[in-house]
Amino acid sequence: MLTCNDLTVAYGDIVALHGVNITVKAGETVALIGANGAGKTTLLQTISGLNKVKSGDIVFESSSLATIPSERRVRLGIAHAPEGRRIFPGLTVEENLSLATAPWRRWSQSIADDLGRVFDLFPRLKERRRQLGWSLSGGEQQMLAIGRALMARPRILLLDEPSLGLAPRLAEEVYERVKLIGEAGMTILVVEQNTVLALAVANRGYVLETGRVVLEGAAKDLKQNSRVREAYLGR
Amino acid sequence: MADFIQLSINGLALGSVYALAAIGFVIVYSATGVVNFASGQFVMLGTFAGVAMLINGGLPWPVGYVGALAAMALFGALFFLVVYLPLRSSPVVTIIIGTVAVGIALQNAAQLTFGSWPFRLQSPFEGMTIEIAGAVITVHAVAVVVGTGILIGLLWLLLHRTTIGIGMRAVAQDVKAARLMGLRVNGLLAFSWVLAALLAGIAGLMLGPMWFADVNMGDPIALKAFAATIIGGFGSLPGAIAGGLFVGLTEVLGASYLSSAYKDLIAFGAMIAFLLVRPQGIFGERIQDRG
Repeated sequence: MLTCNDLTVAYGDIVALHGVNITVKAGETVALIGANGAGKTTLLQTISGLNKVKSGDIVFESSSLATIPSERRVRLGIAHAPEGRRIFPGLTVEENLSLATAPWRRWSQSIADDLGRVFDLFPRLKERRRQLGWSLSGGEQQMLAIGRALMARPRILLLDEPSLGLAPRLAEEVYERVKLIGEAGMTILVVEQNTVLALAVANRGYVLETGRVVLEGAAKDLKQNSRVREAYLGR
Repeated sequence: MADFIQLSINGLALGSVYALAAIGFVIVYSATGVVNFASGQFVMLGTFAGVAMLINGGLPWPVGYVGALAAMALFGALFFLVVYLPLRSSPVVTIIIGTVAVGIALQNAAQLTFGSWPFRLQSPFEGMTIEIAGAVITVHAVAVVVGTGILIGLLWLLLHRTTIGIGMRAVAQDVKAARLMGLRVNGLLAFSWVLAALLAGIAGLMLGPMWFADVNMGDPIALKAFAATIIGGFGSLPGAIAGGLFVGLTEVLGASYLSSAYKDLIAFGAMIAFLLVRPQGIFGERIQDRG
């Protein structure tokens, strides 16, 4: 469904990604793990069109994304819950959610159905639907960020560090939801420093180090891999 | 007492004009981060669009007003295309200097076109007055206050109940996230400039019959609108309204009860006091980090 071919991205002279090749097939959950600064966020942002590609290509459902600006990629079905959540602090929960699809929604596609589905998944958001974004807790903001991405009826969901800054119990709660979304058939590419959580929900994984893919494989194999265990699982 | 009522209504009418100019200023500032130094000239342009349509063109007022506002909307779009868009990736200070340049150009263009002799723009309610508790009040002043109230209500509905308005607020809060959500960021920014120009145009048409239409009227308006936003809270829409009304009221009441030489003292004194004691203004800005 999504393929990055030999993707190189640079910020000025600093190369952030060196010829990265990854593939996400329809229906699977893929984890992208690695340390801080490995290029994980850069990769997701490049898929969403926020960074310029230096060389290589991103192919989504057999067409190249090279010339497509970021706001149109959402319409094609690539939804991104960005690092640090970036919900709109001065908008209510409901406004944050309804905004995501508003520009291209037809009258026939009832927004209430989509809202209902997000509220079923995250009942806490329903309770807080009239509250402004900044007043939510970190966990609720993360749920809102994921919910907002789902409102776009994506074909692939990009999640950037959903566990960032959350207490362990909350991070687990968020990942339970991610697992449910994946089991419902959504294709997910998740970037995560918390390797245990990410590999628990993923089918496959890639390990990124200083802008290169150094390891890839099924999640259960990565969990057993000595290099991953040593560097990322701490045992 | 009759005097006080009359002066208060006139002050509120003038304050309404300042409030509209300040709202336009705030809309552009919160959407784009640009402090629009041409905002006073936008209002001047609105007045002279009225002069062109009603005096030079001799059109009846409903047609002339619609024509003037259409011209202002077009001007807002043009400003976005010619000034903001080419400069948008340069530092925000560059764009601010661009607005200064446009302001100077507008003032001189108006002088070349219309000359320095002031015009008298008539109100649709010319000569009509009503009496409240012994105070004689022009219908124009009442219409300005009521019209501004309605406009503010419509603006609130636009910003909170429509897709475009919610999108504008989202872009003002986080451009990158707005892009990720598929919002047409450039379209929304263009709309902010058009809206600011329209509000300035309405303010200009309202102000025409209260002052003389003079090509140098933009500067005092810009200063008053600026003082209004500082007193109300920089970047805050309720602040722009409260600040505008305050500045208009103190100007008219001060001129009459103190001395017309000191009429601006209260407004600018209040602005300085706010800068010293409460720089975030009456309403402050809740969202400190604009991302």
